[in-house]
Amino acid sequence: MLARVANNLFWMGRYIERTEHLARFLNVNYFSSLDAPDELSQSRQFVLRSIMYMTANDITEADITLDEEEVLYNVGLNLEKPYSIINSFINTHENARCARDLISTELFENINRINHTIKAYSVDSFVKSGLYDFTTLVTKSSSEIRSKIQSTLLHDEVYAIIMLGVNLERAIQVARIINTKVSDVSAAKAKEGDSTVSNYQWTTLLKCVSTYDMMRRYYKKAPSRKNTLEFVILNDRCPRSIKSSLNQIYKYISIISKNKDIPTDSAAFLISKMKSEFEYKLIEDIEVDLEEFTADLIKKLVLIAEKIEDNYFNISDAVKKQPETQKQKQTQKQSKK
Amino acid sequence: MKKTNHLPLFSSYEFDPKFYDELFDKDNELRSIYKTLFDIFGTFSVDEFNRLNKQAKDSFFNLGITFQVYGEKEVKEQIFPFDLFPRIINNKEWSTIEKGVLQRSKALNHFLWDIYHDQKIIKQGIVPLDLINSSVNFLPEMKGLNPPGNIYNHISGTDLIKHSDGKYYVLEDNIRCPSGVSYVVGNRNAVKHALFGVFNQYNTHTVVDYGSKLLETMESVKPQGVDAPVCVIITPGVYNSAYYEHSFLAKEMGIVLVEGRDLFVENGFVYMRTIYGPEKVDVIYRRVDDLFIDPLVFRKDSLLGVPGLFSVYQKGNVTLVNAPGTGVADDKAVYTYMPEIIKYYLDEDPILSNVQTYHCSREKEMSFVLENIDKLVIKPVDESGGYGISIGNKLTKAEIEVVKKTIKAEPRKYIAQPIMSLSTHPTYIDDQESFESRHVDLRTFTLLGKDDNDFVLKGGLSRVALKKGNLVVNSSQGGGSKDTWVLKK
Repeated sequence: MLARVANNLFWMGRYIERTEHLARFLNVNYFSSLDAPDELSQSRQFVLRSIMYMTANDITEADITLDEEEVLYNVGLNLEKPYSIINSFINTHENARCARDLISTELFENINRINHTIKAYSVDSFVKSGLYDFTTLVTKSSSEIRSKIQSTLLHDEVYAIIMLGVNLERAIQVARIINTKVSDVSAAKAKEGDSTVSNYQWTTLLKCVSTYDMMRRYYKKAPSRKNTLEFVILNDRCPRSIKSSLNQIYKYISIISKNKDIPTDSAAFLISKMKSEFEYKLIEDIEVDLEEFTADLIKKLVLIAEKIEDNYFNISDAVKKQPETQKQKQTQKQSKK
Repeated sequence: MKKTNHLPLFSSYEFDPKFYDELFDKDNELRSIYKTLFDIFGTFSVDEFNRLNKQAKDSFFNLGITFQVYGEKEVKEQIFPFDLFPRIINNKEWSTIEKGVLQRSKALNHFLWDIYHDQKIIKQGIVPLDLINSSVNFLPEMKGLNPPGNIYNHISGTDLIKHSDGKYYVLEDNIRCPSGVSYVVGNRNAVKHALFGVFNQYNTHTVVDYGSKLLETMESVKPQGVDAPVCVIITPGVYNSAYYEHSFLAKEMGIVLVEGRDLFVENGFVYMRTIYGPEKVDVIYRRVDDLFIDPLVFRKDSLLGVPGLFSVYQKGNVTLVNAPGTGVADDKAVYTYMPEIIKYYLDEDPILSNVQTYHCSREKEMSFVLENIDKLVIKPVDESGGYGISIGNKLTKAEIEVVKKTIKAEPRKYIAQPIMSLSTHPTYIDDQESFESRHVDLRTFTLLGKDDNDFVLKGGLSRVALKKGNLVVNSSQGGGSKDTWVLKK
């Protein structure tokens, strides 16, 4: 497989997953806040700030009042904002297009069709009445695409690279969601000082990761700080937990690295090491300093992503130029049309 | 204009008897080959047909069989206009076409060999030296090179028209990697989905075998000493208007689609950069123009090519499909010598006729052209895609003067042909909700491999000029296309 195209496949996987998490986070946070138990969690400004923090990594200054329609538009359909859902999906599509000869017709058609739908979505109806419809459409589409990946591709290196992207991005997004909700809980607690507040926020966290029902089934208890974090970080049967994602990342990097001797500074090595560390982690270890844990986790995952690019997608400097020059050159008139 | 009285989709179908109408003869009688098809179309209501038509277009859109239009702010995707009413060619007619286009492709291949070696055809005075010397597409770097199997134009696209006399004429030969074959397959699929019942009534040749035949052709011209060749397609990239076709062909053949930046040259071989390091490449179907393939030899500013590629080609360590420098032979000035070229190399008479052509480089012919511009089509010899064409009867007096000036300035650059009567074929016009007659041509696809491993795709791209009365069918000029059926019996 070409290194350049492997890079496209990896990012296609990442963007599919990122799109889904952004959409679900927006959906769950916005709609659950409407009848939240405490005043702060119901506050529009509080929710919008939380949304901006998670999606755009943006900490809004205290004296700024956010405009609801503007935030929703920016996160949903604003083509000018690199963090918007629409841009995330456009990137999925662009990367799929570059790897079109490697993926199945069914998969490309699916991505292409969804791309048309998202691009044609009316901004007006989105901010006024389409928020639920749009975010649901996007999350459903992501699982449709994943199912095409799973059921129509050859399960070889191409598949492994896409799934590596999917799972790495999943771990990063879940870590970011945990980070955001933990910070929401601290804020709510400081203001309201009530344990029902945090229960509500933990429920929201579980719903953002789409594991609320299964968590209830597993613990048969209401969500608390400890059991929620244990479930989304350490439960290896929960498909979206950090531990599960790490296990998947390990599985797919092993396919790609073909289990050859791995140098200590390689992606495969870092992943194996991290996976081993998680084997023996307890929630008690993590709880001591949760903020530091999530910050460190995100840092390590980002480093792994960089190493993967270095180890497998490294193409000459020529690639790092452009894309503008390339675009312009590629459109020059070719002979027989 | 002859009006035909049919309901409901053909209610406003009329044709000009000056042209050959593919559906109706001069007495307004339906041609027998179309009878069954016409009857089936007759059963559709306008609404039903609109629905089928929309479904077909949506499927092109969803599959991404599109090209990009660059606007100021955003990039828009558009499908190539497509018509559901197929064109039918009977077996006898097709067998002439097939033999004819193969004959031309082979003759052109001999011609290329000769031009880049002894130039016997020039020395013997059959074609003038000036024809080669003045061609911008002649590559001196190709002199004396022997491509594997002695094949230059592995892939040829021959454009044919049906004249008012009911005979096919060759309009031009395209041997610089002609495009369009992906639409042949796309159109066939769309018609199969929309009109599946029709296929029970017509025994039609398939077109899906092109990919495997192309791969066989590529493998047959592998460099010497290579056992199982690694074949790739090189594309200018995703922003190229033919990118869909490039990815389609790669997929049909199951080979890698590369860009220039994926390849590099080392120790006299070409490699591609894979996730596990370099992998040697043996045969490259290049969809990048001659001048862009190697910045060390041709255009220095090319980002699309591979530095050093041509030197590897010269050593015989990689095969380029088509060979560089084929453009010298599909020049419109060379076209006029095709009957002589066929006779010279194959000792055969041309099976397909040329359109009468006047060379502006010949003084006598130029003065005829200058006096009769209003009855002629003026074409630049080295342009493609329908660019630079002037159709005499569509020009104002002032425009004619401009054309005269341009011809006089560079006579070698222009040829002229009588305004040909391209046949007409029913084409659905959305605004009218009815079929109307439009001019069509036919692009055929021929493959030449080593040891007479030849193939002509049994079908082709019938290109339609969508504007009423228009004769230019090129997609870059707003043309559409339709499925073409070659019958087995």
